[in-house]
Amino acid sequence: MIELRELSKDYGTTLAVNKLNLNVARGEIYGFIGPNGAGKTTTIRLMGGIIAPTSGKIIIGGFDMAKNPVEAKKMIGFVPDRPFLYEKLTGMEFMRFSADLYDVKRDIILQKSKELLQQFALWNWADELIEAYSHGMKQRLIIASALLHDPKILIVDEPMVGLDPEAVHMVKDILKELAANQTTIFISTHTLSIAEDLCHRIGLIHRGTLLAEGSLDELKRVAKLGEARLEEVFLTIIKENTFI
Amino acid sequence: MNTVISLLKPRVRSGINGLRKGNKRNNWARIFMFGGLGIIFWIGTFIIFYRVLSYFQGVQDFGNILAMKLLSMIIMTFFTLLLFSNIINCLSHLYLSYDLPLLHSLPVSSKDIFLSKWLGSAFDSSWMIVAFSLPIFLSYGLIYKANFIYYVIFLMAMIFICLIASALGGILVLFGAIILPAGRIRTILILLGVIMVMILIFILRLTRPEQLVNPDSFASVVLYLNSMQTPNSPLFPTTWITDAIKAALDNETKTCLFNIALTGTFAFMLIFISNMIAQIAYFKGFSKSQTTPRRLFAPLKYKGYNWESLLNFLPRASRAFAVKEIRTFFRDSSQWPQLFLMAALVIIYLYNFSVLPLNNLPIKTIYLQNLFSFLNIGLAASVLSAISARFVFPAVSMEGEAFWIVQAAPVLTKNFLWIKFFLYYIPLIILAEVLVIFSNLFLQVSPFMMVLSTITIFCLVPAVVGLATGLGAIYADFKSENPVQAVTGFGGLLFMILSFSLIAVVIILEAGPVYSIFMAQLRGQSLSFMHMVWIICSFGLALFLCLLAVFYTIHLGEKSLLIK
Repeated sequence: MIELRELSKDYGTTLAVNKLNLNVARGEIYGFIGPNGAGKTTTIRLMGGIIAPTSGKIIIGGFDMAKNPVEAKKMIGFVPDRPFLYEKLTGMEFMRFSADLYDVKRDIILQKSKELLQQFALWNWADELIEAYSHGMKQRLIIASALLHDPKILIVDEPMVGLDPEAVHMVKDILKELAANQTTIFISTHTLSIAEDLCHRIGLIHRGTLLAEGSLDELKRVAKLGEARLEEVFLTIIKENTFI
Repeated sequence: MNTVISLLKPRVRSGINGLRKGNKRNNWARIFMFGGLGIIFWIGTFIIFYRVLSYFQGVQDFGNILAMKLLSMIIMTFFTLLLFSNIINCLSHLYLSYDLPLLHSLPVSSKDIFLSKWLGSAFDSSWMIVAFSLPIFLSYGLIYKANFIYYVIFLMAMIFICLIASALGGILVLFGAIILPAGRIRTILILLGVIMVMILIFILRLTRPEQLVNPDSFASVVLYLNSMQTPNSPLFPTTWITDAIKAALDNETKTCLFNIALTGTFAFMLIFISNMIAQIAYFKGFSKSQTTPRRLFAPLKYKGYNWESLLNFLPRASRAFAVKEIRTFFRDSSQWPQLFLMAALVIIYLYNFSVLPLNNLPIKTIYLQNLFSFLNIGLAASVLSAISARFVFPAVSMEGEAFWIVQAAPVLTKNFLWIKFFLYYIPLIILAEVLVIFSNLFLQVSPFMMVLSTITIFCLVPAVVGLATGLGAIYADFKSENPVQAVTGFGGLLFMILSFSLIAVVIILEAGPVYSIFMAQLRGQSLSFMHMVWIICSFGLALFLCLLAVFYTIHLGEKSLLIK
């Protein structure tokens, strides 16, 4: 469902992503981990069509992001790391706005929005302006709106930032359920326990280059560690800084 | 004091870093353009005041009174502007800045935070008024052949007036923020300020100053001038400053020193008082400002009528953007005062045409009426440019950090820009046509001029709105705390220059052909073939420039947004 081919992004002073090749299959949860400034958010923004690559291709559900951005974006539910929203809209108005942009069937908008807002504990705030929401509430609203059009691919940058433990637990369950229903999920995170719990495969990026990729067991083997946790695998691979 | 200096350092360092070579925002074109405009404005102010004061010197008996009355009015105006600007700036600096939560988490007293922020606010509110007061007071000094002491006293007076206004602004804001959350006070103050300005404009306009040229009313003007000699209240600091400057101009050293000392001590006393109040009240007010924002007006409960259905003819994504844009625009209280001001300007604009004494003029007016009508096209388009600069140019920047939603949405950037364009184009074309058609009706112009004005404006408005949308996208600043201020930057200035140039070129291209057609009609002659070719080429070129302004600028804007 997601295919990145020789993807590079050069900001002029920094090569944020360097010839990245990656494939994520239908129904797979792919975790993208790496230290600060490794290129995770840039990769996610490239995949979401928010910025254009310097070179390489992004294929989303068979559509080339450069050639068919509208079709590719229709398949994606995008959740950025920082919850910037239109502060002067209410939560419900934002849901309707998203539904219109993603062409959700008119007759189900109200019901679906209500269900999602209830699920994310925002229903009582649905008619309040977003400027009155807390950071976590805004993050929950973004996730709810990203799920409104039943995306085939969910791209999430730091999904748990700002969420309380209850919301973290709920989001994890939702992501697992979505993957079970064949939604492809690409998550970037610093929280290694989340990657460990959720992801079928994990990619480790450092200085724009994918150093290692595979299931947790495969990564442990590569790092020559026995019964280690992902944290130790992460630190070993980053320390050696070699392409595996 | 060391803590205050430390707190001011990030601001100073940011300023210095902004001047670094590698900084994109610091290029020669920008510096040259802003510097050049500043110098032109400065020289223009000097010339105007020098000429006015020279003229006053030539008026027997009343000349000196007029000059001194003007001085007192200038100081009063400066003080009012400074006070209002300080109140607004103090609210932002002391209670609404993004860095305040960080500053309050530091191990520094709230009094020190207050003082550092107050100093920043005082500087921001005052520097421009001080800079542009220089040519005015320089012209006074030259006309009155003042000595060195006058210039020293003037500079001290300007510093003290700024400090008094800043301290007063700070005290008022400190009290206000205890009663109401700071964000709410700002909205109310801006609204009150605009209402006051509107009342002032209406009063000035409805007194019909053009009647002063009527000799029948001259007697009342003499009475008015007599009333000018009434002294101002000795309790106001503006009176002390005016008296100090007057005394310096007249070489009365004792009076001058007394008044400037009075002003200075008052300024420092106010600063001391504001610091005392800040010690008790600042943190309380800051805490209050951190509460959840509430709507100024509760949403209407009546759901029987849905205005969004009026936009149902639009494609779905376009409609979603249109609804979002309209909602966010009208819910943003910083837009309201501008709308009131715009309404006041439109009413005064049309009122001015309605009171033109066309029937009382001794010369034949048909030529004059049509000339006015033609020039009115340029005037109306210029008004539209100013409105576009305020509303359309910042429209893309207004998306702010939420622009990712547009970038991630399955909507082409080109479509997003065209939606923005049409959302502003429709109300502005209606406004422009109303201005032109009604002013033409007041002028009783010929049908040819009516058609020409209507069509020209119909072509010019999209060009101006297109320029504003496209350049607004090229110079979009999604990280600005106040996107409306984008228009005061390089892009905004470039838009104003290009927009006024386009209007001027179109008017010039039309002027010759229109004159030929108009005179041919007046004389009952027909136009030659060469005249026809010339007319078609001129009008064709004007149309081409308008289309270029729309399509090419929006195309450039789209390219720029795709790179961002």
